[in-house]
Amino acid sequence: MIHFKEFLYKPSENECEYASSSYLMSLVAVIAGLPIPIFNLIATVVFYLGNRKGTYFTRWHCTQALISQFSLFFLNSFAFWWTIYIILDKKTIDNYYFAYIFTILIVNFTEVVATIITSIQTRKGIHVEWWFYGAITNKICKP
Amino acid sequence: MRNIFFQGISIVFIFLLTLFLMSRIDWMKIFKVKEASDKTEEKLGDLFWEYFKRSDQEVTDNIIYYSVDSILVKICEANNIDRSLIKLHVLRSSEINAFAMPDNHMVVYTGLIDNCDTPEELAGVIGHELAHINERHVMKKLVKEIGLSVLISISTGNAGGEIVREIARTMSSSAYDRTLEKEADLMSIKYLNKAKINPEGLANFLYKISDADVPSFLTWLSTHPDSKERAAYIIDQLHDSDVKYKPALTSETWEKIQAKLDTWNEYDEY
Repeated sequence: MIHFKEFLYKPSENECEYASSSYLMSLVAVIAGLPIPIFNLIATVVFYLGNRKGTYFTRWHCTQALISQFSLFFLNSFAFWWTIYIILDKKTIDNYYFAYIFTILIVNFTEVVATIITSIQTRKGIHVEWWFYGAITNKICKP
Repeated sequence: MRNIFFQGISIVFIFLLTLFLMSRIDWMKIFKVKEASDKTEEKLGDLFWEYFKRSDQEVTDNIIYYSVDSILVKICEANNIDRSLIKLHVLRSSEINAFAMPDNHMVVYTGLIDNCDTPEELAGVIGHELAHINERHVMKKLVKEIGLSVLISISTGNAGGEIVREIARTMSSSAYDRTLEKEADLMSIKYLNKAKINPEGLANFLYKISDADVPSFLTWLSTHPDSKERAAYIIDQLHDSDVKYKPALTSETWEKIQAKLDTWNEYDEY
Protein backbone atom coordinates (compact mmCIF):
# COMPACT_ATOMS: atom_id res chain seq x y z
CA MET A 1 0.00 0.00 0.00
CA ILE A 2 2.97 2.33 0.48
CA HIS A 3 5.52 2.73 -2.31
CA PHE A 4 8.95 4.21 -1.79
CA LYS A 5 9.86 5.93 -5.04
CA GLU A 6 12.48 8.18 -6.55
CA PHE A 7 11.32 11.79 -6.79
CA LEU A 8 12.01 13.99 -9.82
CA TYR A 9 14.81 15.74 -7.96
CA LYS A 10 16.59 15.50 -4.64
CA PRO A 11 14.62 17.68 -2.18
CA SER A 12 16.46 20.11 0.09
CA GLU A 13 16.54 19.80 3.88
CA ASN A 14 13.87 22.52 4.20
CA GLU A 15 11.50 20.82 1.76
CA CYS A 16 11.85 17.50 3.59
CA GLU A 17 10.98 19.18 6.86
CA TYR A 18 7.82 20.83 5.45
CA ALA A 19 6.70 17.63 3.69
CA SER A 20 7.22 15.59 6.85
CA SER A 21 5.32 18.17 8.93
CA SER A 22 2.29 17.97 6.66
CA TYR A 23 1.75 14.38 7.81
CA LEU A 24 2.51 15.23 11.40
CA MET A 25 -0.21 17.88 11.44
CA SER A 26 -3.01 15.33 11.48
CA LEU A 27 -1.26 13.30 14.16
CA VAL A 28 -0.65 16.37 16.31
CA ALA A 29 -4.38 17.17 16.14
CA VAL A 30 -5.27 13.71 17.43
CA ILE A 31 -2.61 13.73 20.15
CA ALA A 32 -3.74 17.20 21.29
CA GLY A 33 -7.03 15.60 22.22
CA LEU A 34 -9.30 16.67 19.40
CA PRO A 35 -11.47 13.67 18.75
CA ILE A 36 -13.87 15.67 16.62
CA PRO A 37 -12.87 14.69 13.06
CA ILE A 38 -13.20 18.17 11.56
CA PHE A 39 -10.13 19.35 13.52
CA ASN A 40 -7.88 16.85 11.77
CA LEU A 41 -9.10 18.10 8.43
CA ILE A 42 -8.84 21.75 9.44
CA ALA A 43 -5.24 21.23 10.66
CA THR A 44 -4.26 19.61 7.36
CA VAL A 45 -6.12 22.21 5.24
CA VAL A 46 -4.42 25.06 7.12
CA PHE A 47 -1.02 23.48 6.53
CA TYR A 48 -1.87 22.77 2.88
CA LEU A 49 -2.93 26.39 2.29
CA GLY A 50 0.24 27.61 3.96
CA ASN A 51 2.41 25.50 1.65
CA ARG A 52 0.47 25.44 -1.60
CA LYS A 53 2.98 27.83 -3.13
CA GLY A 54 5.93 25.88 -1.78
CA THR A 55 8.29 23.69 -3.80
CA TYR A 56 7.02 20.70 -5.76
CA PHE A 57 8.12 18.11 -3.14
CA THR A 58 6.42 20.01 -0.29
CA ARG A 59 3.25 20.67 -2.31
CA TRP A 60 3.05 17.03 -3.39
CA HIS A 61 3.17 15.67 0.15
CA CYS A 62 0.85 18.33 1.57
CA THR A 63 -1.67 17.34 -1.11
CA GLN A 64 -1.36 13.63 -0.38
CA ALA A 65 -1.79 14.29 3.37
CA LEU A 66 -4.86 16.47 2.66
CA ILE A 67 -6.59 13.98 0.35
CA SER A 68 -6.06 11.07 2.73
CA GLN A 69 -7.43 13.14 5.62
CA PHE A 70 -10.41 14.14 3.54
CA SER A 71 -11.73 10.60 3.05
CA LEU A 72 -10.99 9.78 6.68
CA PHE A 73 -12.94 12.88 7.68
CA PHE A 74 -16.17 11.53 6.14
CA LEU A 75 -15.75 8.09 7.69
CA ASN A 76 -14.94 9.52 11.14
CA SER A 77 -17.71 12.13 10.97
CA PHE A 78 -20.25 9.43 10.27
CA ALA A 79 -19.00 7.49 13.32
CA PHE A 80 -19.00 10.68 15.42
CA TRP A 81 -22.60 11.66 14.63
CA TRP A 82 -23.81 8.08 14.95
CA THR A 83 -22.32 8.06 18.48
CA ILE A 84 -23.92 11.42 19.33
CA TYR A 85 -27.33 10.14 18.17
CA ILE A 86 -26.91 7.08 20.39
CA ILE A 87 -25.91 9.22 23.38
CA LEU A 88 -29.00 11.39 22.82
CA ASP A 89 -31.04 8.19 22.48
CA LYS A 90 -32.25 9.12 19.01
CA LYS A 91 -30.83 5.85 17.71
CA THR A 92 -30.43 2.57 19.50
CA ILE A 93 -27.05 0.90 19.75
CA ASP A 94 -26.77 -2.22 17.57
CA ASN A 95 -24.26 -4.67 16.11
CA TYR A 96 -23.74 -2.54 12.97
CA TYR A 97 -22.62 0.38 15.13
CA PHE A 98 -19.89 -1.69 16.78
CA ALA A 99 -18.91 -3.22 13.42
CA TYR A 100 -18.55 0.28 11.92
CA ILE A 101 -16.63 1.66 14.92
CA PHE A 102 -14.13 -1.22 14.88
CA THR A 103 -13.71 -0.95 11.10
CA ILE A 104 -13.08 2.78 11.52
CA LEU A 105 -10.55 2.05 14.27
CA ILE A 106 -8.67 -0.30 11.92
CA VAL A 107 -8.76 2.32 9.14
CA ASN A 108 -7.54 5.04 11.52
CA PHE A 109 -4.81 2.82 12.93
CA THR A 110 -3.63 1.96 9.40
CA GLU A 111 -3.66 5.66 8.53
CA VAL A 112 -1.70 6.59 11.67
CA VAL A 113 0.95 3.90 10.99
CA ALA A 114 1.21 4.95 7.32
CA THR A 115 1.40 8.61 8.37
CA ILE A 116 4.23 7.97 10.85
CA ILE A 117 6.20 5.89 8.33
CA THR A 118 5.68 8.50 5.59
CA SER A 119 6.57 11.35 7.90
CA ILE A 120 9.85 9.66 8.88
CA GLN A 121 10.74 8.76 5.29
CA THR A 122 9.95 12.17 3.78
CA ARG A 123 12.04 13.78 6.51
CA LYS A 124 14.95 11.72 5.11
CA GLY A 125 14.10 12.97 1.65
CA ILE A 126 12.58 9.67 0.49
CA HIS A 127 9.49 10.06 -1.68
CA VAL A 128 6.51 7.94 -0.46
CA GLU A 129 3.41 7.34 -2.58
CA TRP A 130 0.30 5.84 -1.02
CA TRP A 131 -1.97 3.44 -2.85
CA PHE A 132 -4.77 5.43 -4.58
CA TYR A 133 -3.98 8.74 -2.82
CA GLY A 134 -0.55 8.89 -4.44
CA ALA A 135 -2.07 8.35 -7.88
CA ILE A 136 -4.64 11.12 -7.32
CA THR A 137 -1.94 13.44 -6.02
CA ASN A 138 0.08 12.80 -9.19
CA LYS A 139 -2.93 13.94 -11.21
CA ILE A 140 -3.54 17.07 -9.12
CA CYS A 141 0.00 18.17 -8.31
CA LYS A 142 2.18 19.10 -11.27
CA PRO A 143 5.82 20.28 -11.12
CA MET B 1 -7.05 7.28 -14.94
CA ARG B 2 -8.09 3.61 -15.11
CA ASN B 3 -5.38 2.88 -12.60
CA ILE B 4 -6.81 5.41 -10.10
CA PHE B 5 -10.29 4.01 -10.62
CA PHE B 6 -9.08 0.46 -9.99
CA GLN B 7 -7.18 1.51 -6.86
CA GLY B 8 -10.20 3.45 -5.56
CA ILE B 9 -12.52 0.50 -6.11
CA SER B 10 -10.00 -1.78 -4.34
CA ILE B 11 -9.92 0.50 -1.28
CA VAL B 12 -13.74 0.69 -1.14
CA PHE B 13 -13.91 -3.12 -1.54
CA ILE B 14 -11.40 -3.73 1.28
CA PHE B 15 -13.31 -1.29 3.50
CA LEU B 16 -16.68 -2.94 2.82
CA LEU B 17 -15.20 -6.42 3.27
CA THR B 18 -13.75 -5.41 6.66
CA LEU B 19 -17.10 -3.90 7.63
CA PHE B 20 -18.92 -7.05 6.57
CA LEU B 21 -16.54 -9.30 8.53
CA MET B 22 -16.84 -7.05 11.59
CA SER B 23 -20.63 -7.20 11.40
CA ARG B 24 -20.44 -11.02 11.58
CA ILE B 25 -19.14 -10.72 15.15
CA ASP B 26 -21.84 -10.52 17.83
CA TRP B 27 -20.56 -7.37 19.54
CA MET B 28 -23.80 -6.88 21.50
CA LYS B 29 -23.16 -10.22 23.20
CA ILE B 30 -19.46 -9.55 23.74
CA PHE B 31 -20.11 -6.18 25.42
CA LYS B 32 -23.33 -7.40 27.14
CA VAL B 33 -25.08 -4.24 25.91
CA LYS B 34 -28.64 -5.46 26.25
CA GLU B 35 -28.10 -6.84 29.74
CA ALA B 36 -26.49 -3.55 30.86
CA SER B 37 -29.21 -1.28 29.46
CA ASP B 38 -32.01 -3.56 30.70
CA LYS B 39 -30.45 -3.59 34.13
CA THR B 40 -30.16 0.22 34.25
CA GLU B 41 -33.78 0.60 33.17
CA GLU B 42 -34.94 -2.04 35.63
CA LYS B 43 -33.17 -0.34 38.54
CA LEU B 44 -34.53 3.09 37.55
CA GLY B 45 -38.05 1.67 37.26
CA ASP B 46 -37.80 0.03 40.70
CA LEU B 47 -36.39 3.19 42.32
CA PHE B 48 -39.10 5.45 40.91
CA TRP B 49 -41.86 2.96 41.66
CA GLU B 50 -40.66 2.77 45.29
CA TYR B 51 -41.07 6.54 45.49
CA PHE B 52 -44.66 6.53 44.15
CA LYS B 53 -45.66 3.47 46.18
CA ARG B 54 -44.66 5.28 49.34
CA SER B 55 -46.66 8.42 48.55
CA ASP B 56 -50.00 6.80 47.55
CA GLN B 57 -51.85 3.60 48.33
CA GLU B 58 -51.67 0.94 45.61
CA VAL B 59 -54.93 -0.61 44.46
CA THR B 60 -54.35 -4.28 43.69
CA ASP B 61 -57.21 -6.47 44.61
CA ASN B 62 -60.51 -5.07 43.52
CA ILE B 63 -62.68 -4.41 40.51
CA ILE B 64 -60.85 -1.18 39.68
CA TYR B 65 -57.47 -2.82 39.16
CA TYR B 66 -58.87 -5.81 37.28
CA SER B 67 -60.95 -3.60 34.99
CA VAL B 68 -58.00 -1.41 34.08
CA ASP B 69 -55.99 -4.59 33.59
CA SER B 70 -58.65 -6.11 31.33
CA ILE B 71 -58.55 -3.02 29.06
CA LEU B 72 -54.77 -3.25 28.96
CA VAL B 73 -54.93 -6.98 28.15
CA LYS B 74 -57.38 -6.32 25.29
CA ILE B 75 -55.13 -3.65 23.78
CA CYS B 76 -51.97 -5.73 24.24
CA GLU B 77 -53.44 -8.91 22.77
CA ALA B 78 -54.80 -7.12 19.71
CA ASN B 79 -51.43 -5.49 19.07
CA ASN B 80 -49.09 -8.43 19.81
CA ILE B 81 -47.64 -6.71 22.87
CA ASP B 82 -46.61 -9.01 25.71
CA ARG B 83 -48.90 -7.93 28.58
CA SER B 84 -46.69 -9.70 31.14
CA LEU B 85 -43.93 -7.17 30.40
CA ILE B 86 -46.11 -4.22 31.46
CA LYS B 87 -46.09 -3.52 35.19
CA LEU B 88 -49.47 -1.92 35.77
CA HIS B 89 -50.10 0.01 38.98
CA VAL B 90 -53.31 1.74 40.04
CA LEU B 91 -52.80 4.32 42.79
CA ARG B 92 -55.54 5.70 45.00
CA SER B 93 -55.31 9.44 44.60
CA SER B 94 -57.60 12.30 43.57
CA GLU B 95 -54.92 13.49 41.13
CA ILE B 96 -56.02 13.17 37.49
CA ASN B 97 -52.89 11.57 36.19
CA ALA B 98 -51.42 8.56 34.41
CA PHE B 99 -47.83 8.10 33.32
CA ALA B 100 -45.24 5.62 32.13
CA MET B 101 -41.94 4.92 33.88
CA PRO B 102 -38.74 3.07 32.91
CA ASP B 103 -38.83 -0.73 32.78
CA ASN B 104 -42.43 -0.77 31.47
CA HIS B 105 -44.13 0.56 34.61
CA MET B 106 -47.52 2.16 33.95
CA VAL B 107 -49.19 4.15 36.71
CA VAL B 108 -52.88 5.14 36.60
CA TYR B 109 -54.44 7.26 39.36
CA THR B 110 -58.00 6.59 40.51
CA GLY B 111 -58.66 10.34 40.10
CA LEU B 112 -58.23 9.91 36.35
CA ILE B 113 -60.53 6.87 36.24
CA ASP B 114 -63.13 8.84 38.21
CA ASN B 115 -62.98 11.65 35.66
CA CYS B 116 -63.58 9.35 32.69
CA ASP B 117 -67.21 9.26 31.59
CA THR B 118 -66.82 6.06 29.59
CA PRO B 119 -64.41 3.10 29.66
CA GLU B 120 -63.33 4.15 26.14
CA GLU B 121 -61.93 7.40 27.55
CA LEU B 122 -59.89 5.38 30.05
CA ALA B 123 -58.82 3.00 27.26
CA GLY B 124 -57.63 6.02 25.24
CA VAL B 125 -55.38 7.17 28.08
CA ILE B 126 -54.10 3.61 28.67
CA GLY B 127 -53.36 3.28 24.93
CA HIS B 128 -51.48 6.59 25.01
CA GLU B 129 -49.31 5.55 27.97
CA LEU B 130 -48.77 2.10 26.45
CA ALA B 131 -47.48 3.79 23.30
CA HIS B 132 -44.98 5.81 25.41
CA ILE B 133 -43.75 2.49 26.85
CA ASN B 134 -43.74 0.52 23.62
CA GLU B 135 -42.01 3.26 21.61
CA ARG B 136 -39.35 3.69 24.32
CA HIS B 137 -40.32 7.34 24.87
CA VAL B 138 -39.72 7.09 28.62
CA MET B 139 -35.97 6.49 28.41
CA LYS B 140 -35.66 8.94 25.50
CA LYS B 141 -37.26 11.66 27.61
CA LEU B 142 -35.16 10.88 30.68
CA VAL B 143 -31.90 10.77 28.71
CA LYS B 144 -32.79 14.07 27.02
CA GLU B 145 -33.87 15.90 30.17
CA ILE B 146 -31.59 14.37 32.78
CA GLY B 147 -28.66 12.89 30.87
CA LEU B 148 -27.37 9.35 30.57
CA SER B 149 -24.58 9.80 33.12
CA VAL B 150 -27.00 10.95 35.87
CA LEU B 151 -29.35 8.05 35.08
CA ILE B 152 -26.52 5.52 35.31
CA SER B 153 -25.28 7.04 38.58
CA ILE B 154 -28.83 6.80 39.99
CA SER B 155 -29.18 3.19 38.90
CA THR B 156 -25.85 2.28 40.50
CA GLY B 157 -26.91 3.94 43.75
CA ASN B 158 -24.51 6.86 43.50
CA ALA B 159 -27.18 9.55 43.61
CA GLY B 160 -29.01 10.85 46.66
CA GLY B 161 -32.67 10.26 47.48
CA GLU B 162 -33.55 13.88 46.75
CA ILE B 163 -32.37 13.51 43.14
CA VAL B 164 -34.48 10.36 42.72
CA ARG B 165 -37.52 12.20 44.15
CA GLU B 166 -36.95 15.20 41.90
CA ILE B 167 -36.67 13.06 38.76
CA ALA B 168 -39.70 10.97 39.76
CA ARG B 169 -41.69 14.20 40.14
CA THR B 170 -40.44 15.44 36.74
CA MET B 171 -41.40 12.14 35.14
CA SER B 172 -44.96 12.21 36.44
CA SER B 173 -45.61 15.90 35.96
CA SER B 174 -43.89 17.05 32.78
CA ALA B 175 -44.78 16.40 29.17
CA TYR B 176 -42.85 14.62 26.46
CA ASP B 177 -42.04 16.81 23.50
CA ARG B 178 -44.75 17.48 20.92
CA THR B 179 -43.48 14.90 18.44
CA LEU B 180 -43.48 12.12 21.04
CA GLU B 181 -46.93 13.13 22.36
CA LYS B 182 -48.38 13.12 18.86
CA GLU B 183 -46.72 9.79 18.12
CA ALA B 184 -48.24 8.34 21.32
CA ASP B 185 -51.70 9.70 20.39
CA LEU B 186 -51.53 8.21 16.90
CA MET B 187 -50.20 4.89 18.20
CA SER B 188 -53.01 4.85 20.77
CA ILE B 189 -55.58 5.24 17.95
CA LYS B 190 -53.91 2.37 16.09
CA TYR B 191 -53.87 0.16 19.20
CA LEU B 192 -57.50 0.93 20.03
CA ASN B 193 -58.71 0.32 16.48
CA LYS B 194 -57.02 -3.06 16.45
CA ALA B 195 -58.57 -3.87 19.83
CA LYS B 196 -61.96 -2.72 18.43
CA ILE B 197 -62.24 -0.02 21.12
CA ASN B 198 -63.55 3.35 19.94
CA PRO B 199 -60.60 5.82 19.96
CA GLU B 200 -63.01 8.74 20.07
CA GLY B 201 -62.83 8.24 23.84
CA LEU B 202 -59.32 9.71 23.90
CA ALA B 203 -60.47 12.80 21.95
CA ASN B 204 -63.52 13.18 24.22
CA PHE B 205 -61.35 12.97 27.32
CA LEU B 206 -58.97 15.61 25.94
CA TYR B 207 -61.86 17.94 24.97
CA LYS B 208 -63.50 17.49 28.33
CA ILE B 209 -60.47 18.24 30.43
CA SER B 210 -59.39 21.15 28.25
CA ASP B 211 -62.82 22.79 28.70
CA ALA B 212 -62.94 22.20 32.43
CA ASP B 213 -61.75 24.66 35.04
CA VAL B 214 -58.30 23.36 35.62
CA PRO B 215 -57.89 22.37 39.24
CA SER B 216 -54.38 22.05 40.60
CA PHE B 217 -54.60 18.25 40.70
CA LEU B 218 -55.43 17.91 37.00
CA THR B 219 -51.90 16.86 36.20
CA TRP B 220 -52.56 14.87 33.01
CA LEU B 221 -53.91 18.01 31.32
CA SER B 222 -51.17 20.33 32.54
CA THR B 223 -48.56 17.84 31.35
CA HIS B 224 -50.24 17.41 27.99
CA PRO B 225 -50.70 20.90 26.54
CA ASP B 226 -52.71 21.76 23.42
CA SER B 227 -55.41 19.25 24.36
CA LYS B 228 -57.94 20.72 21.93
CA GLU B 229 -55.48 20.59 19.05
CA ARG B 230 -54.67 16.98 19.92
CA ALA B 231 -58.35 16.06 20.18
CA ALA B 232 -58.89 17.62 16.74
CA TYR B 233 -56.22 15.56 14.99
CA ILE B 234 -57.44 12.42 16.75
CA ILE B 235 -60.94 13.08 15.36
CA ASP B 236 -59.39 13.67 11.92
CA GLN B 237 -57.79 10.24 12.08
CA LEU B 238 -61.13 8.63 12.87
CA HIS B 239 -62.94 9.75 9.73
CA ASP B 240 -61.61 6.94 7.58
CA SER B 241 -62.16 4.24 10.17
CA ASP B 242 -64.84 1.62 9.47
CA VAL B 243 -64.09 -0.63 12.46
CA LYS B 244 -67.06 -2.18 14.31
CA TYR B 245 -66.31 -1.16 17.88
CA LYS B 246 -67.08 -3.12 21.03
CA PRO B 247 -67.37 -1.68 24.55
CA ALA B 248 -64.04 -1.53 26.40
CA LEU B 249 -65.86 -2.71 29.54
CA THR B 250 -69.45 -3.80 30.15
CA SER B 251 -71.73 -1.06 31.48
CA GLU B 252 -72.26 -3.18 34.58
CA THR B 253 -68.52 -3.28 35.35
CA TRP B 254 -68.18 0.45 34.66
CA GLU B 255 -71.01 1.21 37.05
CA LYS B 256 -69.39 -0.92 39.73
CA ILE B 257 -66.12 0.98 39.29
CA GLN B 258 -67.90 4.32 39.56
CA ALA B 259 -69.76 3.13 42.67
CA LYS B 260 -66.53 2.00 44.28
CA LEU B 261 -64.82 5.29 43.49
CA ASP B 262 -67.82 7.24 44.85
CA THR B 263 -67.58 5.29 48.10
CA TRP B 264 -63.89 6.12 48.34
CA ASN B 265 -64.53 9.79 47.55
CA GLU B 266 -67.19 9.99 50.29
CA TYR B 267 -64.82 8.26 52.71
CA ASP B 268 -61.96 10.62 51.78
CA GLU B 269 -64.22 13.68 52.19
CA TYR B 270 -65.43 12.36 55.53
